[in-house]
Amino acid sequence: MPELRARLFSPARDTLWGAFAALILALLISFVAIAASGRDAATGFADLLSGAFGGPGPLGETAIKSAVLVLTGLSVTVAFTVGLFNIGAEGQLIWGALAAAVIGQRALPGAMALSLLGAAVAGAGWGLLAGWLKVRRGVHEVISTILLNWIAIHLVHGWLVAGPLAAAGSGAMVSIAGTEPVSASAWLPRLFAGSRLDLGFPLALAVAAAVWFLLTRTVRGFEWRAVGAGRDAARASGIPSSRCICEGMALSGALAGMAGALLILGTEHKYPGVFRTGYGFDGIAVALVGGGTALGTTAAAVVFGALRAGATRLQLVGVHPSFAELTQGLAVLLVAAPRIFQPLLARLRGRPSAAASAPPVPTVQP
Amino acid sequence: MKRIALCVCLIALLGCRKKQAPHTIGLAVDVGGRGDQSFNDGALRGLEIMAAGLRYTARGYERLGEAEYRALLPSDLREMPFPHLAIPEPLVLSGKAQEDYEPNLQLLVDQGAELVVAVGFMMEPATRAVSARNPNARFLLIDSPLLDASGRPTTAPNVRAVVFRENEGTFLAGVLAGTLTAGKIGFVGGMQLPLIRKFEAGFRAGVRQANPSAEVLVAYTGTFDDERKGIEVGHDLYQRGCDIVFHAAGLDGLGVIKAAQQAGKLVIGVDSDQSHVAPGNVLTSMVKHVDVAVYLAVKDVLEKKFSGGDIVLGLREGGVGLAPIGGMVPAPRREAIVLELEKLRAQIVGGQLTVPSTLDELAKFVAARP
Repeated sequence: MPELRARLFSPARDTLWGAFAALILALLISFVAIAASGRDAATGFADLLSGAFGGPGPLGETAIKSAVLVLTGLSVTVAFTVGLFNIGAEGQLIWGALAAAVIGQRALPGAMALSLLGAAVAGAGWGLLAGWLKVRRGVHEVISTILLNWIAIHLVHGWLVAGPLAAAGSGAMVSIAGTEPVSASAWLPRLFAGSRLDLGFPLALAVAAAVWFLLTRTVRGFEWRAVGAGRDAARASGIPSSRCICEGMALSGALAGMAGALLILGTEHKYPGVFRTGYGFDGIAVALVGGGTALGTTAAAVVFGALRAGATRLQLVGVHPSFAELTQGLAVLLVAAPRIFQPLLARLRGRPSAAASAPPVPTVQP
Repeated sequence: MKRIALCVCLIALLGCRKKQAPHTIGLAVDVGGRGDQSFNDGALRGLEIMAAGLRYTARGYERLGEAEYRALLPSDLREMPFPHLAIPEPLVLSGKAQEDYEPNLQLLVDQGAELVVAVGFMMEPATRAVSARNPNARFLLIDSPLLDASGRPTTAPNVRAVVFRENEGTFLAGVLAGTLTAGKIGFVGGMQLPLIRKFEAGFRAGVRQANPSAEVLVAYTGTFDDERKGIEVGHDLYQRGCDIVFHAAGLDGLGVIKAAQQAGKLVIGVDSDQSHVAPGNVLTSMVKHVDVAVYLAVKDVLEKKFSGGDIVLGLREGGVGLAPIGGMVPAPRREAIVLELEKLRAQIVGGQLTVPSTLDELAKFVAARP
């Protein structure tokens, strides 16, 4: 029994348990915050749970949000792997969404697959731009991706969707914002009646499995990790580090682009006039809580997706729907300070003395 | 295993919990949310303050006294009776993202709301989907007719759609601005939509009516929920010499009003009477009585007179109009202007004057003979 415990809580799993503890603590703090503001926190959390898991409808909403977060989270995770901090998932997502909306308007054979592919290519292009700037011009990717986000937002929202790609309105009484609708053949098929759960969620899980395989079981994945651990050392041992960085950023962008396509092809069925996402930025939180691994990121994405889907119902007890972001922010903060949970984990491990002398466990290297 | 089963039971229980008190009314707003002092707040006023007699505060709802209620009513409605209706605390949901609109409307139906109010044309697709799925639930959609799959207006027996002839109200605002300006007037729109173009067309026609030589500078912010953009665009227009700016830009418009305060210039508000935001700068507001539309729909539901279909509200129906002109216009001058505005209003109501609703119609517009 002690062996099992020691294995379960082995230092290699500290990241996992740290993230888990951080989530629980973040929820706990949020609960206390709601209660302290005079709201009925217990009813609120019950509403939150039922809004995330209570029946096929809510489960579908959780799946929609989780699928998008899985992909943006993976986008940030892949960039982490090659040692880059991609803040630009939002911009890449926007280009992907626009590409999906434009390609999906034409009723081509295989429209759905083509739209997804187009979204991946568009996102990859925007990601590659930051990678190229990094290796050729030495522009720090944090700066370039942040700025590229704004360029994408203003180009797409301020000009393309409002101007050349806007749907033609019909008369002064009908207000349509956004692009022409996507043809029904490009919609992600819904899987159950009474729920908006569509092909997006299984697709995102499949992509997550593929990314896991790529990063941990292939030569290319090894090269990327080597570059991420130390670019100069990797280059010295014959790994083409510049190429790896560009590849990593391209894949990172492609994943974010596909996330945008899921929103367009799954629920919106056009590029809407007001496209409020934030999923690209949330991808950073998901990746951090997920410990920079594909599996952890997927798990974190599902948790945050459920939280977001359920948080809408907190309004029934008078809590602002931004609550989900509060919890998410707290979780990231707590994950970023893993030492908080070290004593707890050491005790669970059953060898309190070993923990004190153990070397600090490396965590994510953003 | 037992624990998992227990959890599943618990969640299943939560799913089919609690039904609301009878006559509960639900309302869902778009990502602009509460607090725009304009369109969304107009709809909320109709439901919370007028129908329910409640004021929303950080601590929850508070019941309003009669004097407070009178003070909170839009100035042009104070003479009319809007008695509170016997409804419990309303359910108000705001969407954090566009994909939340549909589940939010469905949630209000599931909570047993007898009327679900969808505020804003952006809720149209969600209203279409949820109303088709719940034929027994009743919906009020504001600012857009119900559309069919190919984007043409249609109707449904359980959906009342309310649209406004805003151009008639903005025409009067334009006449006022044209009369008072030294030569340059600004217009700030939100997103470039047919809806906002309608505001612009009416306003520019009004300016042309009063002052053909006045120039109107037009700018669009591209959003309805970014106050900073409003400040930037407002600053720009005032710096280019505009002395009066009219905004039809939702939350962005609050930024335009701030810019007017900083520049010490005049601004015309929209949708709700916005004079309380900057009493010294807001000349008037083009009010659009979303509040009355909501109130009447709630009343009809309670009196079992609710019917679907389209409703169009213009000057004749009292759906749009101008809020009282601010004290910055001296009294004798104001009397004359009010008289002139009343004459034009009568012409529009009587059908002798047709206000353009699109820029194409504006191009053909010839000012009416005084």
